[in-house]
Amino acid sequence: MITLEHADIRRILPHRHPVLLVDRVLDLEPGSRITATKTVSGSEPCYAGLDEDLPTSAYAYPASLLVESFGQTGAVLWLYSAATAGERREGTLIFGSAREVTITGSAYPGDVLRHTVEIDQLIGDNAFMRGETWVGERRIATLGSVLAVVREGIAAGTGS
Amino acid sequence: MSRRFAAPLTAVDTVDIADTPGGARVEAVKRIAGEDPYLVGHYPDFTIYPGVFTLESVHQAIRHWATERHGPGAVAELATITSISFAAPLVPGDTLRIGCDLTEHDDTPATVRAKVRCHRGDGALSARMTLELRIDRRDGDDHA
Repeated sequence: MITLEHADIRRILPHRHPVLLVDRVLDLEPGSRITATKTVSGSEPCYAGLDEDLPTSAYAYPASLLVESFGQTGAVLWLYSAATAGERREGTLIFGSAREVTITGSAYPGDVLRHTVEIDQLIGDNAFMRGETWVGERRIATLGSVLAVVREGIAAGTGS
Repeated sequence: MSRRFAAPLTAVDTVDIADTPGGARVEAVKRIAGEDPYLVGHYPDFTIYPGVFTLESVHQAIRHWATERHGPGAVAELATITSISFAAPLVPGDTLRIGCDLTEHDDTPATVRAKVRCHRGDGALSARMTLELRIDRRDGDDHA
């Protein structure tokens, strides 16, 4: 059973504070599956600047960051697996597409997101993955298909 | 900055809403700024607006519509991403232009379907998505 601490994750993912949204890998099976956690804290930037006297529901962890945390977990699996197989992925890691993502619950400060991600298919610089996000015994999201892509030359081309 | 929900950043600058038969057309603009929260870490060597932040921009545009349509206690919560795909990247200085066609359904709770196309300032398609959102009421939900 392979486990990874935050220092290991920083060597795999290009993301940095405060948008590195994987804290710890509990279990990783190269080329196959991963379970990782991200602890939600009230001190994160997404909780800055909220009005006073809001109800509990206002503190739900943003769906955008939940999907990002899931995608980063999948990217750890993919990039770790590629490195294990002696492959190098050059370029910028981006979110390509997703289908059939359902969000059935919320996480709040103090909760631990637990993502389980499986690789469905690897085609060149494209990784198709699926999985679920849990908080304790509650499943809060099901992600039917998420495509992560490593794309070259993205930094050069700018629009307006 | 003042906000009624947790969010990584203020992800829309302007929102325009027009009623349509059975729903609404929502158009929003966001100028990508490297100094926005979270972008310093995405990535340290150069900045790119994360795909999920385009999702956040669309969500915030629809939140504006929900409070205008259903009152200040109404909150549009993301229930399903039926599909989402990203094309042209967005970097600081770029402008994100969002166009959402909303269709309302009189379920309980009320739901809304959004078909969305996003373009960069130069006209390039940057993202498209189909979402389902649930309209929750938050009028004093801690005091019920």
